[in-house]
Amino acid sequence: MTITLAELSRRTGLSVLDHLEDQLEIPVMDGLQAQGDLLIVPHAAVAVAVTLPVHPWREVPPAGVVLLRGAAGGNPHTLVADRGTCTWTTDVRDSFGLALGALRATGPVYLLHPEHGATGLTPGTYVVRRQREIGHRPPSRGFTGGGHRLVAD
Amino acid sequence: MVRTSDTERRLRAAAIRDEWLGRAYACEPADRAAAEAAVSELYRLIGEGPPEFVWVPSPAAARPLLPAPVRLRGTEMPARPADWPVATRLAGLACDLRGRLDLRTGRKWSPFGWEPFSGRPTGEIMVEGVRDPLRQSVIEGLLTPLRTALMPDGPPPLDLAWRGQHDAAWVGYYDAWRRAGSIGYRPSDAAQLDLWAVLARSCGWWWPGEHRCVIAERTSSVRTEDLGGGRHRLHDATGPAVVYPDGWSVYSWHGTRVPAWVVEEPTAELISAEPNIEVRRCAIERLGWDTYIDQAGLRLVGAAPDPGNDGSELRLYDLPRTVLNRPARVLLVVNGSLERDGTRRRYGLGVPAHLDDPLAAAAWTYGLPVSRYAELARRT
Repeated sequence: MTITLAELSRRTGLSVLDHLEDQLEIPVMDGLQAQGDLLIVPHAAVAVAVTLPVHPWREVPPAGVVLLRGAAGGNPHTLVADRGTCTWTTDVRDSFGLALGALRATGPVYLLHPEHGATGLTPGTYVVRRQREIGHRPPSRGFTGGGHRLVAD
Repeated sequence: MVRTSDTERRLRAAAIRDEWLGRAYACEPADRAAAEAAVSELYRLIGEGPPEFVWVPSPAAARPLLPAPVRLRGTEMPARPADWPVATRLAGLACDLRGRLDLRTGRKWSPFGWEPFSGRPTGEIMVEGVRDPLRQSVIEGLLTPLRTALMPDGPPPLDLAWRGQHDAAWVGYYDAWRRAGSIGYRPSDAAQLDLWAVLARSCGWWWPGEHRCVIAERTSSVRTEDLGGGRHRLHDATGPAVVYPDGWSVYSWHGTRVPAWVVEEPTAELISAEPNIEVRRCAIERLGWDTYIDQAGLRLVGAAPDPGNDGSELRLYDLPRTVLNRPARVLLVVNGSLERDGTRRRYGLGVPAHLDDPLAAAAWTYGLPVSRYAELARRT
């Protein structure tokens, strides 16, 4: 079953910018996908770096879960799923320090953003990562993340 | 008796916070009569008669009129507090008031600092919902940049100054406690807090002196971006973020104070001459990474199609060492989704200098091996 951006927007009450084509069906894919400064990666692909917890995994409510908000407050990346099809955790360990969280889906789930539109994920376990860039502060000793900053669009 | 639920209290506190935020950002001319009456009353509380008032259009215009800063050296101060300068005594008055109000709200000082309001929902609502957002938006976000902007012309003006509308940050916090936190202040304290509140509602910065008080008008334009939860930062992409009635202005790019050229006419030349790295970054963002790369004539290291982003290219350029204070390259990427005007936004990401392959550079930004990044199915 596929749905359109308009339908997803109506179902969640989240609006998207009106210049996005909202009658096309949202593709539901497996594998790697990027939405703005977020990356959705199958856990198997980054299992070396990312450790998932046994618990707590929380159910994604019908209204969705905000994964990340834009720097200026608005424009959240929202995870949307049918009731009972997706659980979500932020309790992940990532040796790169980029993971925001992870999700486990048994049905198709969608990632919605007012500017970037929507994308669909097939059932599976995924890690949500942020993007980094080199910062202007020199790396500090004893802190592996030093010298980098997370990208915020 | 109806008990106020925490949710109601939180909403009420947020409404009061926004009220004070509005006053801190107010751009109407000063209510001179109200401000003069309140300052005179504060003078009366420290045993002084009403001062003569000198109105100025901005804090910058106040500088030549201010007395030399008071030097608070123990050895030089008069023995009796009653002989101390007016500014010092007013500071003592406000400090004592705030100390008593803090006791009333149950905030405790220990040798380790202020104790948190842990386990006290009202305290947490007031601190997280009112005090911290007001501090961030008004003190750090507005007052500090304005004070810094005054610094290049000499030391900051007499530091025992009051900020009028920008004192809304602390006045609003104590006001929220009495209006949404169900606590009462002593009548004399409430009356004095009202005086500070009148000033926060009616004028700009003011400098109390002996028999003479210099008062500035309020801002005539303040532009901010909303970070949510009552938090704002100064930003205007096309003009000054703060303007006073005499035209004195301050520019700000997403909360970073910048010189006017960054917003008005950024060029690669000015960027390479700029010593401050934060300012350089803001100027490049204002100019746009693609324009900057063109103007600065950066060397292209490589280009490759962006997987999952049909028709778009990843382009990797050498970045002059001075831009990020270390060897680095910049990856110019193209957004996966269209802007409202039908174009695609392009932006630059700093990457380590050892990366030669644009694909490897893009993979690095997500902490992935190149082979994985090449599998990117879709970018939106």
